[in-house]
Amino acid sequence: MKQRIVLRALLGALGTVMLSATSFAATYDLTVDYVEIDTGTMKTGGIGYNGSSPGPTLRFKEGEDVVINVTNNLDEATSTHWHGLILPYQMDGVPGISFPGIEPGETFTYRIPVSQSGTYWFHSHSGFQEPDGAYGSIIIEPQKREPFKFDREYVVVLKDKHPHSGERILRNLKMMPDYYNRNQRSLGDFIMDVRKNGLGATLSERADWGAMRMMPTDIEDVQGFVGLINGMSPEQNWTGLFHPEERVRLRFINASAMTYFDVRIPGLEMTVVQADGNNVQPVKVDEFRIAVAETYDVIVQPKDDKAYAIMAESMGRSGYGFGTLAPHEGMRAEMPELRKEAPLLTMADMGMNHGDMGHGDMGKGDMAGMDHGAAPSDNPAMGNAAMDHGSGGSMPGMDHSGMAGMDHSNMTAMDHSKMAGMDHSNMAGMDHSAMAMGNRADPFYAAGSGLTPKAANGGKFLSYADLKAQKPLYADRPATREIELRLTGNMERYSWSINGVKYEDAEPIRLKYGERVRFKFVNETMMSHPMHLHGMWSILDTGQGKWNPVKHTININPGTTVYSETEVDEPGQWAFHCHLSYHMATGMFRKVVVEGGPAVATLKNGN
Amino acid sequence: MPSFKKSLIRHIAASTVLLSTFAGMQAPAFAGAGHSGGHGGAATDIGAPGQLSDVRRTIRIVMEDNFFDQEKIIVRAGETVRFMIENKGEFVHEFNIGTAAMHADHQKEMFMMMEHGALEADKINMAMMEMDMGNGMTMKHDDPNSVLLEPGQSAEVIWTFPKDTELEFACNVPGHYESGMMGKIRLQ
Repeated sequence: MKQRIVLRALLGALGTVMLSATSFAATYDLTVDYVEIDTGTMKTGGIGYNGSSPGPTLRFKEGEDVVINVTNNLDEATSTHWHGLILPYQMDGVPGISFPGIEPGETFTYRIPVSQSGTYWFHSHSGFQEPDGAYGSIIIEPQKREPFKFDREYVVVLKDKHPHSGERILRNLKMMPDYYNRNQRSLGDFIMDVRKNGLGATLSERADWGAMRMMPTDIEDVQGFVGLINGMSPEQNWTGLFHPEERVRLRFINASAMTYFDVRIPGLEMTVVQADGNNVQPVKVDEFRIAVAETYDVIVQPKDDKAYAIMAESMGRSGYGFGTLAPHEGMRAEMPELRKEAPLLTMADMGMNHGDMGHGDMGKGDMAGMDHGAAPSDNPAMGNAAMDHGSGGSMPGMDHSGMAGMDHSNMTAMDHSKMAGMDHSNMAGMDHSAMAMGNRADPFYAAGSGLTPKAANGGKFLSYADLKAQKPLYADRPATREIELRLTGNMERYSWSINGVKYEDAEPIRLKYGERVRFKFVNETMMSHPMHLHGMWSILDTGQGKWNPVKHTININPGTTVYSETEVDEPGQWAFHCHLSYHMATGMFRKVVVEGGPAVATLKNGN
Repeated sequence: MPSFKKSLIRHIAASTVLLSTFAGMQAPAFAGAGHSGGHGGAATDIGAPGQLSDVRRTIRIVMEDNFFDQEKIIVRAGETVRFMIENKGEFVHEFNIGTAAMHADHQKEMFMMMEHGALEADKINMAMMEMDMGNGMTMKHDDPNSVLLEPGQSAEVIWTFPKDTELEFACNVPGHYESGMMGKIRLQ
């Protein structure tokens, strides 16, 4: 096993920087190959770059013109997408939208003028090559000093490698949607619920879930994977070295096909300094959830001469990644207690409260699979209920400028517009401990959601609401129009869509160069979806006005509505899709066409 | 704005020195009290506000986003140093002399300031800072060992260092200390 790792490292080293003769362009050569992935307990065939999976870490410099030659050594077409990079659309690597793809034996030359810095990643955008292992990382060094200091850094890329190939997984999901979902509720669970809630309530609850052909355990479609950190299983124990008191920058990338991970380092607080490659105002957390395709850069400062565990438990608790931060070679951190109990979705995640609904009115047929393609979209009960976020909880997208970030759910009667100069001596009873970090409800989860994360040590769990741009990329201005995108799907047929329409049946979304479009994502499904717009930044509305963070991938939890705005400043056509591989493949995808803009020169392949 | 801060600190520094003269000894408790050190005054001697006439050295410190232009200062035990601090960044920063423990406490307080809206990334809301929290305390930054500056502002701190304490200068705006905006003060 050690030999394999050394071989992989050698091949990886060969695949990195080769400076060309001209000083401003750096050239990289990548090959796409069939590889064997050996995680100790599992050996599968897969796809990688330069002979290994994960592929190499590419290092670019902000301001340089990068040239990447990608040679396809597979028997089928491939493509390489640079996730989060701003570039000419022909270089974006999406077959059918950016270019025709790279045929077996062909070499495609990507030319990218690098105009950003931070942590990003790249992966195949063809078939299921990315779930099969075709992914790698990108570090772009900034021109100016970064607003944080660190003494060393590591890329920490997370993956959910499954023994089955991606193609086989989709076939099985289509045949039986809960094929890979092990946590079915049993008769034992039924009896326990009856004891707790009474027979009538339990029967009614089971009937609701049954009518939707869904199970409250459907948090993870695909279980049975091995969690990998930098390509290594918990057994193989990826290790990063440090000297005590050093500041270490960890560049977390979630390159998974389908899995969200809850990341923590017991004993170490993490200061989040970047999200999706963009600097954020630093926020200290004990744990964070990283959605598929997102990146988070954190600074940690291990002070003790001991090994720390990097724990990444999947959101559905069916698997985990494990690695070590150690002061010496050959150490293995102590495995912290695993949280094995899988969270259960609640009715709140359905976007409605059980009491209000009255399922008799709906008719079971309309509810099946929540596919609203046929049903009228403005069912009044659904519409209102979907907006019900419980008593006084703050809604994402609401104007918080008058509220100064405080949790007002306990103080609804108070008028805070007159707060300046108010005598707080009467408020002596105000319990600041409840307002301390970690106790506030996360507005990006439905009130009462079963998915709401809690830090394992009871401390602070990162929320989107904590993300504020360090330096806003765009001036804040009102959006010129709003586009609603309902995230829809039919679990029974394992078919996913947007506005009830699959990619192949849908019209492209047409945007005008120069406008500022506001996307309204309404999640009408029971799953969380990480939505990724290629080529242009998404300004996530966290209620911070000009400080709203800039991202490339935005997670939308069940039963919630999330807003993001995009300055349409890149001509061409772009992919826009859910980054869960099997959702994207079955239709949760759109082509975005940008009309107008500066004349786009036809770029040659470079051959 | 800048002159307000300067004169306030001078005023307090002068009055504190005056008081200690009457008391016949240094008053470290004064310097530590009022904000950090658990509001009760730390037992650690972190030094005291100094007199302009005792100044033997001037150190210029530049605040940027999110770091100081220096990572280490070496001063003589008992020396009186005049710090001229300028905020060349685009964000609010603090310059605060104290022990690591004091800074940790202060960070909690500054986090609350942000929660209450008294402090934003790029500005200080003076009105909210002066709000009485109900126990006679305000969030105002008027301790002689620290200054809180908006972008473009400058201020001075004149400080007489103690004989032997492990001190750091730090910015305790949420997240800045962890990002590296701090430095060690070595006493010779």
